[in-house]
Amino acid sequence: MPKKLKESLTKAGCAVIAFLVFGLLWGALTNFTDVGMFMPGPIETLEFFFDHFVEKIGPGTIPYHALMSLKRIIPAYIGASAVGVVLGLLMAMYWPVDAIVRPIFSIVRPIPPVAWIPLAILWFGINDESKYFLIALATLVSVLQNAYDGAKAADQQLVGVAKMLGANDKNVFLTVVLPGAVPYIFAGLQLGLNAAWGQVVGSEMIRSVDGLGWIIIRGTDNNNVLQELAGIVMIGILGYILAAAMRFAENKLVRWNKRGT
Amino acid sequence: MMDEKRKTMISCESVDKTFTTKTTTNHVVNKFNLEVKENEFVVLFGPGQCGKTTVLNLMAGLETPTEGRIIVNDKEVKGPDPERGFVYQTLALFPWYTVMQNVEYGLRMKGIKKAERREKAKYYIDLVGLGGFEDSFPNQLSGGMQQRVGIARAYCNEPVVLFMDEPFGHLDAQTRYLMQDEIVKIWEKEKRTVVFVTNNIEEAVFLADRVVVLTNCPTTVKCEYVIDLPRPRSYTDPKFLALRSEIQSVVDKTL
Repeated sequence: MPKKLKESLTKAGCAVIAFLVFGLLWGALTNFTDVGMFMPGPIETLEFFFDHFVEKIGPGTIPYHALMSLKRIIPAYIGASAVGVVLGLLMAMYWPVDAIVRPIFSIVRPIPPVAWIPLAILWFGINDESKYFLIALATLVSVLQNAYDGAKAADQQLVGVAKMLGANDKNVFLTVVLPGAVPYIFAGLQLGLNAAWGQVVGSEMIRSVDGLGWIIIRGTDNNNVLQELAGIVMIGILGYILAAAMRFAENKLVRWNKRGT
Repeated sequence: MMDEKRKTMISCESVDKTFTTKTTTNHVVNKFNLEVKENEFVVLFGPGQCGKTTVLNLMAGLETPTEGRIIVNDKEVKGPDPERGFVYQTLALFPWYTVMQNVEYGLRMKGIKKAERREKAKYYIDLVGLGGFEDSFPNQLSGGMQQRVGIARAYCNEPVVLFMDEPFGHLDAQTRYLMQDEIVKIWEKEKRTVVFVTNNIEEAVFLADRVVVLTNCPTTVKCEYVIDLPRPRSYTDPKFLALRSEIQSVVDKTL
């Protein structure tokens, strides 16, 4: 068996074992201790979870809610990422841009997006717009900073080489700064995705009627722990899939520089 | 033989370079004068850390002189220019480009069409012995191979002058000897004015038409030796050894 395949299978095997052990501990805790009074066991949870792929919770099944959440996250993420990359690169290349944007950015950055909910509702209303705002904010912070760092980290010697070979400023940017910044940009995009996905619950606190965050919040309201857990599990699974897709895309684009995951 | 009627390609006139920071002043190059004729292979040889690289950078336009001036191909040097090719000590290949894309870069910057670029680049890739590796990335190549890409890339841009900054310094001894042979072969096939920096005495005598011996920092020309031996030269030839000893005895000791 080729080495790489063996390695992948071993890793997958370890992951399966890790989950099994986790499940066993969880089951043991709920079965044999007081934790079982307010927390369902793993099997119950999985049952509920898979049942509601067919049965509805509120307006739809779990996949339906997942789609609703994705419908909010993806446009906000893509928009904020585009802005973040462009702005980050511009700030690194032109000091006036940096001088204007940096102060505002530095103040906004440490504020958790959830703290913006009241203002978001005020500015954007209670529909999807305010949710887009929260998610975009979460994304922008990571993406912009990383894009900036990536451009700043340009190898000065290579810039000199490019100029020696006749590159003008535009070409120096396209052939040296940008390719060098790509690994950083991807790191920022991954972090941005995590941050955006992390806003699923936060953003759906704003008057939602569907979505994975909505499921969890409803579950909390009705003290339905199973429902909460189902929402959490789905968020986790989808988050993992999105991150894996991102890594796949990066590997394809950056063949010459394999970063660790 | 040195033909006095040959054009003077490089002229350094009383070049001085001092680096100043907030806390230090570093006088590195001191009233440096040098003339290099067309298609001459000149080696700058000096003790370690004497400022040889700075002199080379000044000639190529990667640094500007504090005083004095440098004329290359009848134009004053004011900055980097495709006319003055440079092969770096630390390789400096574009890691995101293949060998082919690295080598053809200069031509691409000139706006030359793809088909013509590829053909020219292929010629130089073959010339340095890397035929077949056009689509490899630098991180897939050995040190010697990467250095050959650097040489091909500089050559491909068809500069009038080639500057080489201890290009074989990071290679192991065996590869180094191989590369010395290679560079002589390449240069004989594609004659160009070359200024080559090294701190290795045998390398200097092996490669040069003329060895310019530099002093310790702040550096200037101490003396020059014309190496009149036919190529390919032999490290063990008595005349080679005699020149080697003489130059070795003349050069300043490294600080």
